[in-house]
Amino acid sequence: MIKIDDLANSFSYLQKIIKRSGPAMGASYTLIGAVLILGAIGYFLDKWQDSSPIFLMIGLLIGIIVGFYEIAKIMWIKPHK
Amino acid sequence: MSGADQVHTSTENGFDAGEVIIGHVSNSSPEHPILQLPTIFGIDFSITKHVLMLWIVASLVFIAITWTVRKYIKQESPVPSGFMTALEAVVQFIRDSIVLPNVGKKYLNTWTPLILTFFFFIFSANAIGLFPIFDVIGAINRFIFGGSSHDHSFVNSLLHGGMTATGNYNVTAGLATITFFAIILAGSKAHGFINYWKNIAPSGLAWPVYIMLIPIEVIGMFVRPFALTMRLAANMTGGHIAILAIVSFVFIFTGLFNSVLAGIGVGVLISVPLAVAISALEIIIIIVQAYVFTMLTAVFIGMAINIHH
Repeated sequence: MIKIDDLANSFSYLQKIIKRSGPAMGASYTLIGAVLILGAIGYFLDKWQDSSPIFLMIGLLIGIIVGFYEIAKIMWIKPHK
Repeated sequence: MSGADQVHTSTENGFDAGEVIIGHVSNSSPEHPILQLPTIFGIDFSITKHVLMLWIVASLVFIAITWTVRKYIKQESPVPSGFMTALEAVVQFIRDSIVLPNVGKKYLNTWTPLILTFFFFIFSANAIGLFPIFDVIGAINRFIFGGSSHDHSFVNSLLHGGMTATGNYNVTAGLATITFFAIILAGSKAHGFINYWKNIAPSGLAWPVYIMLIPIEVIGMFVRPFALTMRLAANMTGGHIAILAIVSFVFIFTGLFNSVLAGIGVGVLISVPLAVAISALEIIIIIVQAYVFTMLTAVFIGMAINIHH
């Protein structure tokens, strides 16, 4: 049978994990967002200028750079106690 | 028979799964507004299903929370009871586990209200999409009161479009725009407007580095709300599309074998159990998505306040 103390301990451990997961979550979504948005901009520029795949490649490259820069920034932040 | 032929057959039988699914998750079309309003400066101000859902959700959240909190303040005992107990637990959890670790103690009370509002609004908007309220009203109107499904009545106008307003990219973009300005405001409040923009890139670097770094930072500013927009809308739409696709097997198989029994068989053995399982998963998803949006908002606001270069 599950004891109340065990439930409380599990919940407090979950809270601890959640506190730590915030920056990682932000970093991963920003990386995906950067690659998607800049890749899309590149794709539409290629369609407009009929220059496929030059702008798409540039967009993806800048997206990766921006994404990893944002990851580095988020990872450097120390959480408040 | 190939997949394309099968879809063609189902279309021939009067059922187009793609059209039905999109019709049930997207906003109601401009041809079927809930309330027709004039177009001013090229903008159609007609009230669509998702606008109506936004109003319903905002009113529900406002009334439920204000009423509960006012009742608690007026009572003599400081011990919360009923809905207030759950409300207090959620508020405390978001404040202590989401806002505090990211924003910090100094600005905790400044940004907790915004983040809590995001959480309750997004959670309620996600949750209301699981209840087929208007479909039930439509079914009652048709089968009990004998209404037609083709006339332009108010009940029929409610049946066009999906219930989940947070599955609409315009809605999530609106929410992410609030986050975008909150990030700038948080940074400006903490460091001053000029200093916030000065702090956008680390100080003390060689000038050629800034030529690369400043555009990267500016792009990063726009990427964050974009990630929030796409993530929430895509997640909320994806679950509903999955359920509808599975349910549409019933009609596709009925058309394929020209037999109602085939449709019922697929429905009983595959569609209903799978749709129930995905709906159960959707209950978790609505909580997780509201949580992730609020968590990311707190992380981004915290980044503007606590600059670590």
